[in-house]
Amino acid sequence: MKIVVTVKLVPDTSADKRIDPATKRLVRTGVETVLNPFDEYAIEAALQLKEKAGGDTTVTIVSMAPESGKEVVRKALAMGADDAVMISDPKAEGSDVWGTAYALAQAIKKNGFDLVVTGTQSTDAITGELPGALAEFLGVPGVTYVRKLELDGTTVRAERETDNGYARVHASLPALVSVTKSIAEPRYPSLKGIMGAKKKTIAVQSLADAGVDKPIGLEGARTELVDVTTPPARGKGEIFEAADAVAGAQKIVDFLRQRKLV
Amino acid sequence: MKDVIVFIEHIGGQPRRVSFEIASAAKEFATALGGSVHAVVLGKNAGGAAEQLKAYPVDKIYVAEDEDIDKFLVDPSVDYLEAAVKAAGPALILVPYTMIGRDIGSRLAARLDAGQTADVTDLKVEGGKVICLSPKLGGTLITSCAFKGDYGIAAIRPNSFKAVTQAGNGEIVALEKPAGKTYRIAVEEEIVEAAGELGVEESSTVVSGGRGVGGPEPFKTILKDLADALGGAVGASRAAVDAGWIGHGHQVGQTGKTISPNLYIAVGISGAIQHKVGMRTASTIVAINKDATVPIGEFADLLVVGDLFGIVPELTKQIRANAGVHA
Repeated sequence: MKIVVTVKLVPDTSADKRIDPATKRLVRTGVETVLNPFDEYAIEAALQLKEKAGGDTTVTIVSMAPESGKEVVRKALAMGADDAVMISDPKAEGSDVWGTAYALAQAIKKNGFDLVVTGTQSTDAITGELPGALAEFLGVPGVTYVRKLELDGTTVRAERETDNGYARVHASLPALVSVTKSIAEPRYPSLKGIMGAKKKTIAVQSLADAGVDKPIGLEGARTELVDVTTPPARGKGEIFEAADAVAGAQKIVDFLRQRKLV
Repeated sequence: MKDVIVFIEHIGGQPRRVSFEIASAAKEFATALGGSVHAVVLGKNAGGAAEQLKAYPVDKIYVAEDEDIDKFLVDPSVDYLEAAVKAAGPALILVPYTMIGRDIGSRLAARLDAGQTADVTDLKVEGGKVICLSPKLGGTLITSCAFKGDYGIAAIRPNSFKAVTQAGNGEIVALEKPAGKTYRIAVEEEIVEAAGELGVEESSTVVSGGRGVGGPEPFKTILKDLADALGGAVGASRAAVDAGWIGHGHQVGQTGKTISPNLYIAVGISGAIQHKVGMRTASTIVAINKDATVPIGEFADLLVVGDLFGIVPELTKQIRANAGVHA
């Protein structure tokens, strides 16, 4: 059984973000790069499936990121994944959802897979659109927003979150699942895991190596970034020390009335 | 791009409010592009949803009630939508930025080799180009993206546009079942836990609780009562969800939902960056906290410092009384 987990490298949420006015790109200098927090749940889900299945089940990490992110990818290996494929190519820069999903799909097909596990979204772009696009390019069913997951022979059975509850679904392999944070708390890499990860393989591939046969990146993108602006900061509002519950509630009601909200 | 095609998400024949919002907004975009507005309504009781849609500025309403549509998750919907899109030709396609809208939009975009934008809070047509504005990096930046190519799929955040009733042609067209499709995925059972409730994404008012509420009970009592009095939904911070006090579907913030309600009331929530990124675009933010120095005081429009267990029920009482006066 070959399990693939896709991961994205993102700027740390608590870091201060700046845009370079000339390139309209995010200034990454001085901003720590981390594994997309949502993807850590995907890694955990995959590792648990591997532990349960035993035998020759493997977990491969696939990521598209500059080679400088290699040590961040290694964290996924320290958690327990077996190896990693990194698509690192200057021509991939500026990729949109279409290009990213297409390139990942090509690399995953080349690697071979039975099950692809992804997070639900990234903390930087927050599109939530990669899992669906990736499933489509792989030509497999996509079971999204999964909070419970098990493999039953060549069938994946899952409970998926819905807007007003949940649903039980199944799909036949090969398939893709995206998992939510309800799936399981991601493990911390153990010292043994960290040491072991140093010997694991991270195969760095160009777009051509990964089998990407169409232009992606800025050149192939189906969308074009025309502007980036910083929204006006929310100003500090009023702070009201309530003498008692009635005064506190009254203050809020007056405020809401002023804004015509009640 | 000429026509605008709107995917109408509905629950058993009742369109979600965001569906009416995007159907209303579509008219302006179609006029600017020199085309018309087509809506696509699929699944059980789609016909009922289509009837309601006639009150909105839609020219053609494609309908399919085939019972297979709801059996195989989103896959049949993608096939039907693809057929409707190809019949229309180059088009801007609008889907709601919801769990279902995202899944359907992203699969369709890949299938059409088209561009897609996410979490769109505003959309402009300039010189024939469609430009989508989306907050990124937790709302610290706003990107403007234009589509290249014949098709573009924009996923629109709920509460970004106003639903305006203004009847269009509303011609109903039955969609034929796409031929030769088989599916390797199936829905066995759907469990509805919160029937009829608007989720945190769609509600125009959200009352959220955090660590300060101390346990699961207030979510079902004082916070729920306040939300009900305001016609809103109950949300939560990560701390409350991780403690098991309320389900993950209610979580607002980085690992939960990003929302833009008209009014956001944060109760016992400190307002760390991970929470702020999920609600900073609310029009009005009111916080209730026992501590005057919490980070949320830096960006809330009003922070009331006091005991939430006293203030929240009193607030509910006053709002109910207030509503009585004006009724």
